[in-house]
Amino acid sequence: MSEASKKLREKRLIFYSEDIEKLDKYLNEFLKLSQAKCALLIDKEGHMVTQIGEVRDLDLDTISALVAGSFAATKEMARILGEVEFADLFHQGQKQSIQLLLIGDRTLLTVIFDKTTTVGMVRLYATEVAKKLDKLFDKASERKPRESETISKDFTASAKSRLDDLFGS
Amino acid sequence: MVQINFARKEVNCKIVFYGPGMSGKTTNLEKIFENAPDGHKGDLTSIATEGDRTLFFDFLPLDLGTVAGMNTKFQLYTVPGQVYYNSTRKLVLQGADGVIFVADSQRKKMEENMESLENLEDNLKEYNLKIDEIPLVLQWNKRDMPDALPVEELEAKLNRWGAPTFPAVAITGEGVFPTLKALSSMVLENLNKEYGVSSSAAESPAKPKPEPKPPVQKPAQPSSQPQQAVKQQTTPERPAPPQPQPQKSPTVAQPQPQKAPVTTPAKPQPAIKPQPERAPLKTPQTPARPKSPIRTPIQPPTKGSKAAAGPATKTNPLIYVIILVLALVIGAVILVVLNPGGSQ
Repeated sequence: MSEASKKLREKRLIFYSEDIEKLDKYLNEFLKLSQAKCALLIDKEGHMVTQIGEVRDLDLDTISALVAGSFAATKEMARILGEVEFADLFHQGQKQSIQLLLIGDRTLLTVIFDKTTTVGMVRLYATEVAKKLDKLFDKASERKPRESETISKDFTASAKSRLDDLFGS
Repeated sequence: MVQINFARKEVNCKIVFYGPGMSGKTTNLEKIFENAPDGHKGDLTSIATEGDRTLFFDFLPLDLGTVAGMNTKFQLYTVPGQVYYNSTRKLVLQGADGVIFVADSQRKKMEENMESLENLEDNLKEYNLKIDEIPLVLQWNKRDMPDALPVEELEAKLNRWGAPTFPAVAITGEGVFPTLKALSSMVLENLNKEYGVSSSAAESPAKPKPEPKPPVQKPAQPSSQPQQAVKQQTTPERPAPPQPQPQKSPTVAQPQPQKAPVTTPAKPQPAIKPQPERAPLKTPQTPARPKSPIRTPIQPPTKGSKAAAGPATKTNPLIYVIILVLALVIGAVILVVLNPGGSQ
């Protein structure tokens, strides 16, 4: 395997059901305490890891991409200022607001909340849950692959066939 | 990086359209959006300037559907092509699983193509990636232009890695899907190969063999009728074909056909060609959600806020005792003052 492939694999995020169950449990507790509407975990590439709470018709794919982009842009600003990054971001709206918090190196806790709570409340409990999530991500990254959760060997063949169906052969 | 989420049964891959300014990256995405089957695409979002230039990125989620038990999704991004925006271009490239380089075939654009390719190589290096190792496809766009260079010349000057290449006229949709399909295929193959190694490492030390490059050159695919518009563009010159069917992404609850865009200001028609069938998308005047100007970055908890009250509750018992004693004393004083003769 090439050096680049090794690096790629090391960085790849694989989430197993057990990890997600624990993440969801922490996020549920967080939502109860903070009274926020919704909590999303998004990786820095803009892929959503998990989501808890009320989302209604939110386009989560797009929100995830924009959150990651927004965070990446502010990280660059931080770098220019000589900071490593701004680990905490807040977007205030008239009815709803978004609080972003970096968890570990590469995951963003995104909290959507409205007037039923306050930014102070959200930030207080978000900081607390961030520590728990960080530990969980550390453990998850060391987890060995699970036999019961693997990608089927015929994944590529099936995917190519699906590409033919969608885009024409 | 590819994200594999077994709890959600999802595989997410990131594909980036790269290339010099005005080479047709956004047009590629618009054509994919117009022609991808309903139920397999999300909203097309663009963060662009008023002058129709990509400022940060365009974004389109594509859902391949369930493949071998996993819901497989591609997230398509374009970068801003202008030299000035290199910092944002680099950010979008972060975590890319594959790159489609959209080159402008016109003779006068050759230098820009070469600069952009070098820039791609440099920016990939910053993420410890090599251009000859990441899945890469080159698209020779604008083949319909009168001064388009011969494909052989483009190949010789730009394709140093023997990557698959496709001629295209993105504005008509020609060559758009074959390009995307080739890269998607390479990304998936890479993923399966790498994940296979990862999952079976404990049992079998066998390493994957190097993956052969997929075949090149596919016939151009004519574009079908536009289906639905999503992007936030206010282009009065572009007629908006009425759309009867709301398109939805199966995984994301999506809205009504008239849903307003997530982002961006007006984006008029690119200078390449007028495209009557292109649909103007959502209008910024009627956003579904109110824009959220970032006014105050931080709003510290106030005295009366719950956040402030939270930690204070730990010292409450002592405070309550003092308050109770004070209340009793004050009560006794009031009684004495109001009823001075009561004791007699």
